[in-house]
Order: sequence, then C-alpha cells, then structure tokens
Amino acid sequence: MSGLVESTDQAMFLDPAIRDWVLFPITIIMVLVGVFRHQLTILMTGEPPKPDIKDIRQGKALMRGQLLAQNNSYISAPAFIERKRYLCEAYEEGKYLKNKDAKDQSAANLMADPKNMEAMMDGMKKQMMGIVPQTLIMGWIQFFFSGFILIKLPFPLGVRFKQMLQSGIMTPNMDVRWVSSLSWYFINLFGLRGVFSLILGGENSADGTRDMTAMSTMGAMGQQPGQPQDYNKQFLSMKDSLSIVYHEWDLENIEQRVFVKYGKQARIFKSSRK
Amino acid sequence: MDLAKSVLFLLDKRFDGSQRVRRLHGLVNEACGQASEAEVIYTEMLSKDPTNVLASKRLIAQLKARGQLHLATQELVTYLDTHSNDFEAWLELSHLYLLQHLYQQAAFCLEEVILQQPANHYFHLLYAEIQYTMGHLDVALKELLRVVELSTDNVRAFYGVKLTADRILAELKQQTPSKPHQSSGKRDHASSSGLRIEQVPQQATLERLSELATERLVSAYNRAGETSKKIAEQWLKE
Repeated sequence: MSGLVESTDQAMFLDPAIRDWVLFPITIIMVLVGVFRHQLTILMTGEPPKPDIKDIRQGKALMRGQLLAQNNSYISAPAFIERKRYLCEAYEEGKYLKNKDAKDQSAANLMADPKNMEAMMDGMKKQMMGIVPQTLIMGWIQFFFSGFILIKLPFPLGVRFKQMLQSGIMTPNMDVRWVSSLSWYFINLFGLRGVFSLILGGENSADGTRDMTAMSTMGAMGQQPGQPQDYNKQFLSMKDSLSIVYHEWDLENIEQRVFVKYGKQARIFKSSRK
Repeated sequence: MDLAKSVLFLLDKRFDGSQRVRRLHGLVNEACGQASEAEVIYTEMLSKDPTNVLASKRLIAQLKARGQLHLATQELVTYLDTHSNDFEAWLELSHLYLLQHLYQQAAFCLEEVILQQPANHYFHLLYAEIQYTMGHLDVALKELLRVVELSTDNVRAFYGVKLTADRILAELKQQTPSKPHQSSGKRDHASSSGLRIEQVPQQATLERLSELATERLVSAYNRAGETSKKIAEQWLKE
C-alpha cells in the first residue's frame, strides 16, 4: 500500500485495490448478514403470540374508561353518572382483572407467571441475535482489515476519535479524517438502516442501532416487553381520574347554537338564564 | 354457488389453514342452507382460538337469522363484555333490542356507540328517535338539535324537531296555568301523561325552533320534486 504525504493538507493517494477488496466487501457482507439475521429472527419467533381473551378484556375495559373520560360531554348527565359509577365499582373490585387473586401481588411475583417467562426469553433471544453477529463482524474486520487506511472522511473530527478510528495505525500526525476499516463498519452500521427498510420493509430485525439501544436499556430491566403491565394499578388510577371528571353536557346550549347556525340569531348569549 | 365453491377450493389450496378461508367455508355452508354444518365450523374455530372475532360474529348473526333474538342478544352481550370497544357490535345489539321493543336497553347501547363516535350525526339521530319513542321529549329535542347542528338541513331531523317541539308545546299548554311564570329560562315540568319533559327550554324558544324547522323543511322540499312537496306542505299545515 503506497502512501505519499504531499502537503500539510495531507492528500494521500490510496491504492484502488483497497477500494475493491475492502470497501465493497464489507458493505456487501453487512447487508447479507443483516438479511440473514432478519430471516432467522422470523424463524425463531414464529407468529407473534396471540393475546389471551382475558387480556383483551382487560385492555378493552381500560379503553372504555378512557373513552368515557374523554367523550363524557356527549352523553347526558344521568347516562354518564351511571357508567361512571359502574366502571369505578368494577375497577375497584377488579372485575375485569385477569386473575383476581393476583390483585395484591407485587411486581416481582408476576415474573413467576410462566407466560411472562416465555415472553422475556423471547426478548432475550432477540437481543442475542442482534449482538452476536455484530461482535463477529467487528472481530473479523479487526483481524483481516487492520493496519491500513481505508477512506477519508468528508468532515473533520476531534482528536480524540483518532484512537478509535485509526486503531491499527500508529501515526501521531495523520489527520483524523483518514480512518481505518473499522470506522467504515460503523458508518455502514448506521447507514444501512435505510437500505434494510427498503429491502425488508418497515419493521425488520436487521437493524444494528436498535440492538444498541436495547443493550443500553438492558440494565434498567424494569418494564421490558415481557413484563405485563400492572393492570390493577392502571384500573385504580383510571378510577381516580374518572371520579374527578366534571361532566358538562355538550347539548346544554344547543338551541342557541342551532339558531346561530341557521342565521336566526347573531351570536350566542352567555346569559344566566339558559 | 358453483363459482363460489370453485373459488373456495382454489383459496383452500393456496392458503392452507387460514382463518378467513375457514370463515368463507362457513359462509358458503350457510348460503347453501347447511346452517348446522356452518355452526360446527364456527364453534371449532372458536374453540381453537376464543378470541376469534369473525367466528363469534357469524354465530350471533346465524342466531339472529334464525329468529332466536333472545339467544342472539345474550351471545352478543357476552361478546361485548370482552370486546367493549367494537361500536358496530353495540349498534347491532341496539337493533336487536329494538326488535324486541326494549327501548331503554337500546338507548343504552346507542349511548355506548355515541361515546365512541361522538361526531357521527346518524347515531345521534337514532338515539333521539328512541328517546322520543320512550317519551323523553326533552332529551329527544336536544339530540335532534345536535343532529341538525352536525348535518345541515337534515330533513329527518327537522321533522323530528318539529314534531317534538310541537308536542312539548301542546303538553305545556295542557299544564295547569296556575303555575307561576318563572323568570328562569328552563322550567321543570312533570307531565301528567307520563311524558318526561323536564328541563325544556322556554316556550318562546320552542316556538322559534318549530318555526325554524318548518322553514328549513319548506326550503328543502322546494328543491325536491312536486309530489313530495305537496305532501310535505299538507303535513306542515297541520
């Protein structure tokens, strides 16, 4: 690999063989591995788990409460009060809860539920699927493609990046813009997301960045997707929010609004007598 | 029918074990008159997957078609206990109740529908008509006005407004005139003939509403054909 340092601008002339044998292969390999990972993930997780009928019931009961709180002005006062009373009572008793005895269990106990174990295992498996290929590729690149410069970045960077991006090359003076193949790997990692969404469509498991975020949140394991949301708490909080809703019937002043609409009245009178 | 069967056969080959195809099987069976076979298919689908919406709905529809309204109502209520956000199911239940003349329950179902779709004027219209049938003229009037507000020049609604307003006025006239004229806008009246007309607007407002309704109806019918116009005029004069 010949490198001629010409001026302080550090214009170096790189062997085109680098381009042929490093640049393209790395990209191609990453794309292929991504697609492979995607298909493998589909194979492993199979169909998404169908929600249990009791789960559906729970969820929809909660939604009903939300709807009531949101649209309460469209039904008359007695109707609203009746529903509010019924729902608050139901939430309190835990009528819609999946298993009523679990009402007082703490979150730790809920982990013992076999279904949750399954769901959590699934999540872990997915993360493994993400991490392993990444590590493999990184190691492979380090092994084969280290010790030379690959590309020149079009934008300048700080000096601290030198250590990471020029990992194999010990030159104190070289511009940080000349980087090694490992950095090309990183660029690809972030850039191929767009390509993957084109090939694999939308929700694909070939994305490297999602694994990175998953890795960082793995420490705070509190509410992972496997963990069921605590419906009892949600019901109780919904009950609270329902009981403080101030019901104002939307149709109180409707005669005036109709008159205004049809041009019989100039504006709405906000009088004390309705 | 043969075309349906041949298409179904092709679908079966292509999508083996698909839920939709199973349901189509059931439908074809129903169309052929083999209702019991269809029922078997649906119950089997449901036993495999209790959350299957298609199968439950088909079963209920079958019950309704057979005229077993009571059973159909029960099944639909169970279905709605789980899927309480399916407003079409609530609508269907309301229809079932109406068929059995259970107006209060029907009104309840429509309230659920309105909660989920508050801007759809048609549901308000249905609700208003049920309330009118039950004799709750005040609510009916308000709801009809809502319909009129949501959908300009809705003829059906304006008919309702006129009918309701006139009826309330007639009721008010029947009230004993010894009641002192209150300065507050709305008056509470307990009607002697069992119509509920509490919280109705002032008499003047009612009359204006009736006039407005008449006017809009006239203008609507002026744009319509001659015969309907004549009929409408006759009705309006009464």
